Amino acid sequence: MTTRVGLASSRTAVRVSGWSVLLAFAAWHGGRAAWIEAKAHLAQALIRRAWRQESAGAGDKRPWPWADTHPVARLIVPGRGVDTFVLAGASGRTLAFGPGHLEGTPLPGARGNAVISGHRDTHFAFLRRLERGDQVEVEGRDGRRHRFVVSSTRVVDRSDLRVVADAGDTRLTLVTCYPFDAIRPGGPLRYVVVARHADG
Amino acid sequence: MSTRQDARASVSSPPPITWVLVAKEFGSLLGRAFFLAAVVGLLLTAAAVALPAPVREGQPALAPEKMPSGSFLMRRAKGEPWAQAPTLATEVSFRVAGVVARASVRQRFRNGSGDWVEGVYVFPLPETAAVDHLQMRVGERTIEGQIREREQAKAEYQQARDEGRKASLVEQERPNIFTTSVANLGPGEELVVEIEFQQTLAFDEGEVRLRFPLVVGPRYIPGQQLLEGIQGLGWSPDTSDVPDASRITPPLLPPGEAPRDPVRQDREAAAGPAGGARGGNPVAIEVELDAGFPVEALKSRYHAILSEQKGEGRYAVRLRDELAPADRDFELAWTPRPGTMPRGALFREERAGATYALVTLFPPVGPAVEAARLPREVVFVIDTSGSMQGLSIQQARNALALAIERLGPGDRFNVIQFNSTTEMLWDEARSATPENRHAARSWVEGLRANGGTEMAAALEAALVGSDEPGLVRQVVFLTDGSVGNENQLFGIIRQRLGDTRLFTVGIGSAPNGHFMTKAAEFGHGTFTYIGDLREVGEKMARLFAVLESPVLTGIEMTWPQGVAVEAWPTRIPDLYLGEPVVVSVRLSGPADQVAVSGRRGSEAWTTAMSVAGGRRGPGAAVLWARRKIESLLDSLREGADPVAVRNEVVALGLEHHLVTKHTSLVAVDVTPSRPGDAELSSGALPTNLPHGWSHTGVFGELPQTATEAPLHALVSLIALLAAAALWMADRTWRAGDRS
Repeated sequence: MTTRVGLASSRTAVRVSGWSVLLAFAAWHGGRAAWIEAKAHLAQALIRRAWRQESAGAGDKRPWPWADTHPVARLIVPGRGVDTFVLAGASGRTLAFGPGHLEGTPLPGARGNAVISGHRDTHFAFLRRLERGDQVEVEGRDGRRHRFVVSSTRVVDRSDLRVVADAGDTRLTLVTCYPFDAIRPGGPLRYVVVARHADG
Repeated sequence: MSTRQDARASVSSPPPITWVLVAKEFGSLLGRAFFLAAVVGLLLTAAAVALPAPVREGQPALAPEKMPSGSFLMRRAKGEPWAQAPTLATEVSFRVAGVVARASVRQRFRNGSGDWVEGVYVFPLPETAAVDHLQMRVGERTIEGQIREREQAKAEYQQARDEGRKASLVEQERPNIFTTSVANLGPGEELVVEIEFQQTLAFDEGEVRLRFPLVVGPRYIPGQQLLEGIQGLGWSPDTSDVPDASRITPPLLPPGEAPRDPVRQDREAAAGPAGGARGGNPVAIEVELDAGFPVEALKSRYHAILSEQKGEGRYAVRLRDELAPADRDFELAWTPRPGTMPRGALFREERAGATYALVTLFPPVGPAVEAARLPREVVFVIDTSGSMQGLSIQQARNALALAIERLGPGDRFNVIQFNSTTEMLWDEARSATPENRHAARSWVEGLRANGGTEMAAALEAALVGSDEPGLVRQVVFLTDGSVGNENQLFGIIRQRLGDTRLFTVGIGSAPNGHFMTKAAEFGHGTFTYIGDLREVGEKMARLFAVLESPVLTGIEMTWPQGVAVEAWPTRIPDLYLGEPVVVSVRLSGPADQVAVSGRRGSEAWTTAMSVAGGRRGPGAAVLWARRKIESLLDSLREGADPVAVRNEVVALGLEHHLVTKHTSLVAVDVTPSRPGDAELSSGALPTNLPHGWSHTGVFGELPQTATEAPLHALVSLIALLAAAALWMADRTWRAGDRS
């Protein structure tokens, strides 16, 4: 009898500690996920503010004092609720806060191939819904809107840099990771959306 | 009742056996929880895999079998041969004069598909490469490429393409990235495109190396590069040879093992009589070598060669097996006969009334070289800004630790870190005693990357503008160079340099190569790129071996009076062990000789080289033009008039037949070959990588674009479900206890 009751009380201890461990585990990972999402969304509000100042002619404006990037364009997909700010550079740090404009490629609307990449699970999740003929608009710092029309979508290996080469026309290339629903980051494939400038 | 009392008593003093039971129970609970989690995880994974399926059906473009050709995925996923790709065989010939090689690469394109195609090939060349010749051969006809302003060349090409004529276009996309377009290649048809370019060779560990990568297979090339730094592309300046050969060289296979090159199978299948000779991908290589100095040894590292001596330092070399299988990179290396003094070589070329000279100073080589070690003061500057986070700061710390370790007892040193603010280890440099080195190393160990990149203050702290004779002052700057105010920084370097030499070390996956190359140039130093954690030791050792042994400083060249001289670079760098100094000169008229002087430690050193008697060096003019164009484009950053610069670049490009940012080579066939009713399928063609040129190796990969959020969310969900399952299981057990 003694053993049985002792067991019951020790089971309570185990129960409680088991739950605590699992709940703490769940909370930590949930927190990480939420933090990534929150960063992605909250940062955009700060970036929007910086963008307004830039649009008013303030030059490069850091969204927060220790940022090492600044907004360079605004990306809008009419009818899909996409309105996001594109940051300079496409390093991992930058992409946590918004889509990044690849250094060395022209700004959207300028002649050449403007390349913007973003996370498939946050800012660029909408890429999977883009289809041929869809419109993508990009607003420059000067307030001008450039209209692009999606001309192709495809999947390439991450080493296939032809997608960022200058094709001689004015185009916008959006790059994100593929497949969209992969759980683990770091896969070798990229999903590429090419959009041609509507005026040529 | 009595049992209850017993129970209470036992609670207050539990028998020791309980803890064993607790442990057992806990283990079994954990096991159950783990099992449940695994089941839930499996279910979720299955759902994740199953769910997207309908979405994919809604987007036919995403289904692998319907993927537009042009992606590597389709072929790899289905294991298909590359039968559709235009295949190519390659013949390469080099003419080497000193440290300059002129290469002619003939590529045979073959359209194995049933359609008329247009192909665009992007290929990297060394940053010092200059393309100045294009020739297209269709059947019996040969069409010479004409140099045109870029837009005009493009228009001519497009017109020819639309009219069904064969055409070829070579354009420069970036300083070291070129594209060749070929239009209207008919089904089964062959086309030979020949381009000529020129490159500067690497001089390394006492030998000059000519390297030509032959194995294609970007998927097997290790290492990760982000594309971020594409603008600068600083891979090559440290060697000025093949841009960082270690990156673009796939691992060599053990003898007897077939290369895992997917392109090969196709070549074997499709090459036919053109190049089926020896299992596909055949390459023929010829080298005409004029070393510019007496040669001690000449060797080819991976291929059997036949060489014939033609004179002092002159050889004719070719592969022993014609059409050698291209499963190894070609590397030819030659070493000068040992000596203790710097040696000069001069090659000249006459073109349109002007004389172009290429002056090379070689450092002494051989066991007798004991460069008198001058005491040095070394200031290390390390970038600890946010962009260095992760592997970069780790690399930088490792590099710095190694550097501090190598300091000699007579040296003095200091360390500066900067992010938003600048912090110095000590107020002034201290001597490299074991204690000081130890203190510095532990300080470096504690450095973390965070904050902004305020480089100006750090540069000002490092460059104090002192001019202390007898003391060699070196600043080693470790950074990824992600700065926006490059011009301001260049200004600081020029104003405050004094006698100091600035050496930049590029860290991380995507350093700003342009900034660091230029900063080193303004700072009379060199740029070293470290892309891989495993390279830190080797690259730093090489840099320091050089830094420890300046051979000749304050170099000047004196040309005869009355001759207008335009020399590049305008500031002649110091001569270090292991690195030759190369100067390109244009002379308005004939000149007898040039006097070169410098300081060896405290002694003066001079030599005279004959210009009239200099050897003929093809490409001296092109090299000069290329370097002038480079500096013209650089002047844009200092506010030069873009229109004026563009006009000058166009004029130079046209005069020297050179592909530049603003000029392209175009070859157009006069007669149409594609019937008007046949369609040209353009762009969609899977382009085979030109032989030996790989994308990944040189300019990296598309950015990483996924977060760990889904992974965390999934793990969190599993843990929650497991907790819920545990709770339910527990309720069942308790119900069982009560009954």
